[in-house]
Amino acid sequence: MTSLFDDFGFVAVVLQGFGFIAQSVLVGATFFAVLVVPRDTRDSVAIAARKASTVVEVAALATIVVALATALLTAGMLVATIQLAWRDVASAPFVLAAIAKVAAASVVGTRLRNPDAGPSARMTSIAAALALIAAAAADSHAIARLDHVAPLLIATYAHQLGAGLWLGGLPCLWLTLRDADPATARRIGRRYSTLAATGVALIVGAAFVFAFEYIGSFEGLYGTAYGAMAGVKTLLLVLLLMLGFANFRTLHGALPDRVAVPRVRRFVELEIAAGFAVLMAAASIASSSAAVDVVADRLSLPELAARMAPAVPAFESPARDALSPIVAPGTVTASRTAGDRAWSAYNHHVAGLVIVLIGIAALLRHRRRLRWAAHWPLLILLLGVFLLVRADPEIWPLGSVGPFESLGDPEVLQHRLFVLLIAAFAIVEWRVQLGRIASPRMSRVFPLLMVAGGALLLTHSHAVADAKEQLLIEMTHLPIAVLGVVAGSARWLEVSTSHGEGRVGREGRVARYVWPVALILVGLILLEYREA
Amino acid sequence: MGHRRTARRTRGSRCVSLLLGAFVAAAAEGALAHALVMSSTPAANATLRAGALPIELRFNSRIDAKRSRVTLRAPGGAEAVLALKIDDSRAVLSGSAETRRAGDWAVVWQVLSLDGHVTRGEVPFRVEDATGK
Repeated sequence: MTSLFDDFGFVAVVLQGFGFIAQSVLVGATFFAVLVVPRDTRDSVAIAARKASTVVEVAALATIVVALATALLTAGMLVATIQLAWRDVASAPFVLAAIAKVAAASVVGTRLRNPDAGPSARMTSIAAALALIAAAAADSHAIARLDHVAPLLIATYAHQLGAGLWLGGLPCLWLTLRDADPATARRIGRRYSTLAATGVALIVGAAFVFAFEYIGSFEGLYGTAYGAMAGVKTLLLVLLLMLGFANFRTLHGALPDRVAVPRVRRFVELEIAAGFAVLMAAASIASSSAAVDVVADRLSLPELAARMAPAVPAFESPARDALSPIVAPGTVTASRTAGDRAWSAYNHHVAGLVIVLIGIAALLRHRRRLRWAAHWPLLILLLGVFLLVRADPEIWPLGSVGPFESLGDPEVLQHRLFVLLIAAFAIVEWRVQLGRIASPRMSRVFPLLMVAGGALLLTHSHAVADAKEQLLIEMTHLPIAVLGVVAGSARWLEVSTSHGEGRVGREGRVARYVWPVALILVGLILLEYREA
Repeated sequence: MGHRRTARRTRGSRCVSLLLGAFVAAAAEGALAHALVMSSTPAANATLRAGALPIELRFNSRIDAKRSRVTLRAPGGAEAVLALKIDDSRAVLSGSAETRRAGDWAVVWQVLSLDGHVTRGEVPFRVEDATGK
């Protein structure tokens, strides 16, 4: 049952992240359709209205599916673990909140399906979108707090509304920039700027309330998982603000439409990627205990400094026999031996070294004499094989369990499938690097996965018995997550500005150096990895 | 699959997940720690005499007591579900039990907080008999 609970925890956080994304996009698309797209019968405006309606429909459906899935998952968990009857779970507050979300999303989805919806349908949709956020706030940290529930509920409402207005409106903006004529797209983009600025103000205002109520002190910021995640989220928000500001200047600047619009569209793509990561980080924060409540297991600055102090990485693996035995199911206690820690450190160090090499090769690949460096994706395959062998040492070739026999264990199967997936993506990227795949879509697979990987790493915590050790490990993983998002976004930008045969636009020329450097930094962090 | 999976995770899954994190996606590991026990009776790792045992768990957030469960785990692993009372703040779960045997006991809890998060944990304690063993 423990593992069921662990898996439930991970799935619940990921679902919550998807829920935030779907809800934000639905709210953003609703406001975009009603307030940003002008009431105009011209064809070019009608395109933007149609696109917004489509986004509303898709986001409403996604909101409904995720709300139902989340409620069913939690309900099922309660039924499975403490044998509650389904009828007793049905009246739980989280179920009622899910029903309210489904109802609100259904209203928006049906009322705004028609791009020519009248004033009544438009106003009803705005009201339903606002009700959706109310339902979400009623299911948030704030509602369970012992003190200051009302101001925290208001702040949560403002924060989520702000996320919807700003980040949630980005997909509609992107579609408009892509499909409408440049002059109309720019006009709509300028109107969206007002909505986005309102969203930013709401997000930042609420963040101050959260910092005061949930973090409380500087020690809470660096010494707890909640504080560290909030710090990462703030960093990503600053990146987003910079992108948003650049877009604002371009839209309101003197560049001609045909130059300004494609540039803004490329930056909006990056904003969407960072926004996705921010919302996944928000889900992780929403699942953590508030920093003010974590008193006993806080990290001190000396503990952090000691862990972050540079050390020479060890490239010596302990023998397989040095690992603690995999004990029988049902045993409760677990302690990691020095052998386990050394085994894990060795894995991280080798992975770090290979990723540094990948970054260096990616940096060098454009030099005429070093074209062979474009084969760098093959290093990913090598790393995949290494981890395939090392991740499950009890399995052949290191252990005695047969490779096919081991696939009966869902976790081993999961490892194997992930590595297979990585191998497939590495081969695609290899062919992209060699110019054998010219499809822009396929070129975007790899950067997309880097962003997704970074964002998912933000939702990820470690099942280590010692809370401080767990936090120290997470502190090393959070920068990796941010760097993953940065690397993926930069590679995406490089691909977006590519004119073929290795030629890229101005932003792309910068981006082509940013992502390999980000990968090198990831590798260096892994090389410094250690456990106490 | 209790410890078996935990041991493997700490050793291998993290590394796979890092590769995935850097390039693809993080592997499934997760531990929610939403509701926290701020104080408890008995206190964690306390040593008590056998007999009547008042139990109280004070959480950092408001709890849905109807959908939460607290059990007492005796030495040997047998668990008994406690009848729960909740105070006006909705953050304190209490009950009572009897400890008849010396050994390692634990108050095992799983709570649903009002924001819909399910959390679990345990408060271990030791019971001595009259001779102090």
